[in-house]
Amino acid sequence: MKKLVLSILGLLFISTSVMAQEVNIFSARHYDSDVQLYKKFTAKTGIKVNIVSGKDKALQKRIKEEGKDCKGDLYITADAGRLGAFQSQGMFQKGASSAGIKKVVPANFRSAYWTGIAKRARVIYYNPKTVNPSWNMTYEDLADPKYKGRVVIRQSNNVYNQSLVASLIKNNGAKNTETWAKGLVSNFARKAKGNDRAQILAVAAGEADWAVANTYYIALMLSGKKGPEQQAAAKKVKPFFPNQDGRGTHMNISGGGILKHAPNKANAIKLLEFLLTPEAQKHIVNNTFEYSMIDGVEPNKLISQFGLGFKQDLKTKVSSYGKLQAKALKIMTEAGWN
Amino acid sequence: MIVPLLVAIPIITIFFSFFDTRSEYLTLLKNTFLLEYISNSFFILVGVLFLTFIFGVTSAYFVSFYNFTGVNFFKWALILSFAVPGYIYAYSLTAFFENYGTAFSILTFLFGDSEYNQYIPKFDGLIGSIFSISFSLFGYVYVLTRASFLYQSHNLIEVGKNLGFSTKRSFFKIILPSARPAIVAGLSLVAMEAVSDFGTVSFFSISTLTTAIYNSWISFDDLSTANQLSFMLLFFILILFIIENYSRKSAKYHQPSRGFKSIPKIELKGKKSALAFTFCSMLFFCSFLFPVFQMSYWTIKFPKYFQDIDLWSLNFNTLLLVFLSSVCLIVFSFLSNYGNRVSKSKLLNYLSAFSISGYAIPGVILAVAFITFISWLSDTFTSAFGFASFKPLFIGSVIGLVLAYFVRFFSLSFNGIRSGYLKINQSIDDSAYLLGYSKFKTFTRIHVPYLKSSVFLVGVLIAIEIIKELPITLILRPFNFETFATKAYSYAAQDLLEAAAFPSLCLIMWASLFILFASRYILSDK
Ligand SMILES: [Fe+2]
Repeated sequence: MKKLVLSILGLLFISTSVMAQEVNIFSARHYDSDVQLYKKFTAKTGIKVNIVSGKDKALQKRIKEEGKDCKGDLYITADAGRLGAFQSQGMFQKGASSAGIKKVVPANFRSAYWTGIAKRARVIYYNPKTVNPSWNMTYEDLADPKYKGRVVIRQSNNVYNQSLVASLIKNNGAKNTETWAKGLVSNFARKAKGNDRAQILAVAAGEADWAVANTYYIALMLSGKKGPEQQAAAKKVKPFFPNQDGRGTHMNISGGGILKHAPNKANAIKLLEFLLTPEAQKHIVNNTFEYSMIDGVEPNKLISQFGLGFKQDLKTKVSSYGKLQAKALKIMTEAGWN
Repeated sequence: MIVPLLVAIPIITIFFSFFDTRSEYLTLLKNTFLLEYISNSFFILVGVLFLTFIFGVTSAYFVSFYNFTGVNFFKWALILSFAVPGYIYAYSLTAFFENYGTAFSILTFLFGDSEYNQYIPKFDGLIGSIFSISFSLFGYVYVLTRASFLYQSHNLIEVGKNLGFSTKRSFFKIILPSARPAIVAGLSLVAMEAVSDFGTVSFFSISTLTTAIYNSWISFDDLSTANQLSFMLLFFILILFIIENYSRKSAKYHQPSRGFKSIPKIELKGKKSALAFTFCSMLFFCSFLFPVFQMSYWTIKFPKYFQDIDLWSLNFNTLLLVFLSSVCLIVFSFLSNYGNRVSKSKLLNYLSAFSISGYAIPGVILAVAFITFISWLSDTFTSAFGFASFKPLFIGSVIGLVLAYFVRFFSLSFNGIRSGYLKINQSIDDSAYLLGYSKFKTFTRIHVPYLKSSVFLVGVLIAIEIIKELPITLILRPFNFETFATKAYSYAAQDLLEAAAFPSLCLIMWASLFILFASRYILSDK
């Protein structure tokens, strides 16, 4: 009984108590495997990891309103654009790129305020029974009228799409991207709906020939974590890495930055550095099926079977997505992309 | 006085801009999807009202006037639908009908491998939303309509017979009009929840006015657009509220005296009995068994997701929130009802009416409004009086959660207890005073015992709502704090609905337990 009362009291005032060695994370990534990773970190360093996870924008709102009283040290999310936008609102402090981090993370995937933790590629999926992409097919090609009614992609409010379109604006200019978006929308097989995996399933079921989705979703299906039916469905679909003759395939990151009022900055840096060790990276690639952020860690077999030698778009800095996402959303919305 | 003001926080916050950033979001929206969003909101509202009316009134009619196979079972089984939140319903519906989903598995199991996807109906997101919301809300209409049928002092069917009416004619001419106020009251509750839904529609990729408010405020920091859109939404809700209030007033004329005799039910035989049975069992199946089966199927199919769940802390957190919130809500609703009764003040009455806003405003918006308000208040006090910031006490703490729930559910609790109070005649108070009872003694010795069952009922309703509550908990919770609802959401967000099944099932089980516990009161024949 006494224990119960104490733990109730503890919970009531939890936000006011400060532990000696801890690091507090606001995370818009919900993976359970992340939590396991944090436990490994605690076992190694004795630093306790506390987490609040939630929807990206709502979390940002909370952090902003809490201001100086925000107990959060790290903000982790699965899109470079969001990190960039949060940075431009002045919510991060410098430090995420410590000397140790600079050594292992390519400059393209970090800024002074945040660093990538894992990479993801947003690719084209196709049904090999009905279509066959030429080796140099591009995202731009998806707007070609010959694919009328055969393309699926999720909604424009999805941040992965906003970053993809941001990179198109960066490379092709706003005018061309407007034309492209209109062309793409007229190629839709159905109104945009569902998550990335639903797009892959639509190709498997013959609703469309082409889909756009991140790479790790097909690995999730192939892994059997979603049952034998989805495993079989995933085998009917092939990923294709576009823009190989040009700038390369669109890359995005999961990443984290140190919050402006972080009370445990040193611990936050330690955690980021830990996440970028080969041990942690192996854990990530084998659980979320993302690409490793550092050299020398191979992706999971389910991903590496699709080829490792593809050309990644390293020309377009991921830090440019944030500034262009709003523009991207505007272009998509005006093109009728729901 | 304080309570209604507190409860009006979301409205106050939404209407007074604390910062003044504008974006071109509204222009963009006007040029593109605004009409579609409004029409989506409208169709969801109309569709849900229509379905809940059909489901709720028909089942209440069957169960109240007729005897057929299983009637005593359906009487309470139909209210179990309260235990399934709209978003879990959405998970189930999507998983069942998606390409290579559960329907596909069943067909494969029955008839062997083939391409079944093209034969499985593809749900339009709008239809999916309407069904999900309807099945999770028709219980309001059912419970209120049934109660109103039972309150009738005459056997309405007998009356119809005496007038020479056919069964159909007496249903439309006598029974339906007699229950009108109750039906309207139920439908207006449904309407408020339907319009303010965010979780279910966004899961189906459907954008509504609520989505637009969320986007403009939370994604674009554009409070002025959010204000204008909220105004539109509140306008919708205000109309409904006026209708509801009006019907409640006229309900008084319909309430018969308390001399209540139970009405002998009519025996249904053969085809008619089968029809009533089929309707009720279909409804029970769709509203409760279907999501429970889908979640159980996954729980069994993917047993390894079990391990990751810390059941003790999930149970503890959920029950702690239920306990603290229901105690606070009940105590304050009691006090303000008592205040209203003693002072007979009109002002208090109007202010309490304001409190309905908590229920009608989308949970996400309410949570963000709450955070913004606390932050503004704390900053004001700090700069004006040099107070230490009290943000940490209310943002990211259990106290903050309880307070936000308080704002959200106060109208539910207040009105629940008020309806109990209305049944205690003012003359009872007067005679107590004559006997030399003090006001306090009248309250503790007379009101409290009289209201025991409404308090109990209100407590259970709050418990069910809090167990199901997601958006407020998600944003306002402390570090390392999970409830069944947030746990299920977190799995759904990492695209593992399979793993969300077990916490969802626990959530449904807890809510069902509370419902069964209270069914005696919810279905009270008196
Ligand atoms: Fe994802």
